[in-house]
Amino acid sequence: MVNKMGEIKLQPIIQVKNLTKRYNKAQQLAVNNISFDVQPGEFFAFLGPNGAGKTTTISILTTTLSKTSGDITIAGYNINNQSKDIRQNVGIVFQNPSLDLYLTAEENIRFHVSLYGDYQYKPTYRLMPQEYKSLVTQLADFLDIGEDLFKPLRTFSGGMKRKLEIIRSLMHKPKILFLDEPTQGLDAVSRRDLWGYLRKVSKEQKTTIFLTTHYIEEAEFADRVCIVNHGQIAFLGTPAEMKNRLMDNYLLLDAENRSLLASELRPFKTEITPDGKFKVHFDEQTPQHIFSQIKTSLLQLEIHTPSLEEAYMNLIDSKNLEAVQ
Amino acid sequence: MSTKRELNAVGVIGAREIVRFFKDWKSSLVFSFMFPVLFLGILGGSIAENLSSGLGYNYLQFALIGMVANTLVMNTMMSVTSLVEDRENDFTQEIFVAPVSRYSIILGKIVGGTVTSILQLFAFVIVAVVMGIPVGLPIIGWVLLLAPIICISGGALGALIASIFSSSPKTADRGVIMIAFAQMFLSGAIIPINNSTGILSVLAHAMPMTYLIDLLRGVIYQGTPAYSSIVLYSPAFDLIVVAIISVAFFIVGTTLFVRGERNR
Repeated sequence: MVNKMGEIKLQPIIQVKNLTKRYNKAQQLAVNNISFDVQPGEFFAFLGPNGAGKTTTISILTTTLSKTSGDITIAGYNINNQSKDIRQNVGIVFQNPSLDLYLTAEENIRFHVSLYGDYQYKPTYRLMPQEYKSLVTQLADFLDIGEDLFKPLRTFSGGMKRKLEIIRSLMHKPKILFLDEPTQGLDAVSRRDLWGYLRKVSKEQKTTIFLTTHYIEEAEFADRVCIVNHGQIAFLGTPAEMKNRLMDNYLLLDAENRSLLASELRPFKTEITPDGKFKVHFDEQTPQHIFSQIKTSLLQLEIHTPSLEEAYMNLIDSKNLEAVQ
Repeated sequence: MSTKRELNAVGVIGAREIVRFFKDWKSSLVFSFMFPVLFLGILGGSIAENLSSGLGYNYLQFALIGMVANTLVMNTMMSVTSLVEDRENDFTQEIFVAPVSRYSIILGKIVGGTVTSILQLFAFVIVAVVMGIPVGLPIIGWVLLLAPIICISGGALGALIASIFSSSPKTADRGVIMIAFAQMFLSGAIIPINNSTGILSVLAHAMPMTYLIDLLRGVIYQGTPAYSSIVLYSPAFDLIVVAIISVAFFIVGTTLFVRGERNR
């Protein structure tokens, strides 16, 4: 598709229009009339607090939960009557482990690839094709569980099970990979390695990644971020836009001679706090530039640069939500 | 391509059941022997010694055939209702998100349950030989021939139970036990029902397993003097009833279970 500017615009790989979900016997809507698109190859982060509607949305998009209303197209297929085609094109790492603990790690993977029709099921690993063996070994070594591949899952830690699920979800080379809080239970090193790998997969295989996470810092890897709260979209944009829009950088100043300080701060965007101190926003200037204009002897000087997490916490606070919307 | 994939999915899901059976071989072995020892050795033996005089046929052989059919039905039924346990462990998410038909998933469970149920029949043969019950090759042959039909029917009933008692594995287990015992005592598996009247007769004829057991006994006792004392209907009639019940239970059970999974 070519737009008026002559740019090639790809058909979104995920199209969600006015999606609403109300669980049986529930008073409130779990998802309240949300709409968004995801482009092919995009790394899309879906953020929100517990109960925001993230898992509900991902369950509907992956066809395991019915919607109450709305239109959804995934990989060109309509969710109403082409759910099997959708399932063929997506991979999923669920929030709760969906592994068979009676089987070994490799048996879980073999079961998955056979169910997806990638390889004919064989009763032993030895009988599986070389291509399968190489892929399993490569992925397992990368995520550091190569030595445990043939051990029963009962001996696996939570982090190891998570890694196994990620390996399994990538085995059938899906167009879209849905990750529902995939790094839950992983240590910092494993999380870093995993993100490195997912970025590589996203880039090399042009896999679209749809991620839900509690960790705001993980959203910084994303091309776009969608923040949901109480079933509604609170923010949709790039991580840079999110920072610009939500980060409130300011200096907190106070002096014995407040009237002199006020006159010096007149050129800057300043507001007075309830206790009479001066809040000087420095979105455009640097703190250095503001200091250079002040000659008054200061009693207090604080530089406030909130983290992305603080900005996120502010956003999901219901009072701020209304302001952003 | 699509049919091949669906068949592959049936095979994979069935294979998982078989692998799990062998992985847990100790408890599988114990349960394989527990049932024939309890119900054939102790209950059947006691009835044979105290109540079976004047029946005009070998009661223990009658009970053996009934308990074999009962075991096949119950094991396959439990294999399918394990879907509820899978859901509790969130494993159904992995199965139900795969690009295969829901009917293939339930059918795979039935295939796996059928194979493991047949494997467990060896315990019956051993207990029967120890107890001196006549088990000739024709009986073994008919059992093996009809076992897939009996198991498919049991699996279809399991799909219906899983859809009705799907709130938790505990509820599903209670449902299985309730249905299994009702069927075992009312269908003529261990207690003859030829002379049942009134409500007991109605209940006996309402049990799907009545027709499965009658089918198995019908072909085994065909041409013997005991046929008229044991068998209720012709094997052809039993087969038609079994086919109708199985197809109905399979379709209704699978549809309701999947709907329950998605429509939360």
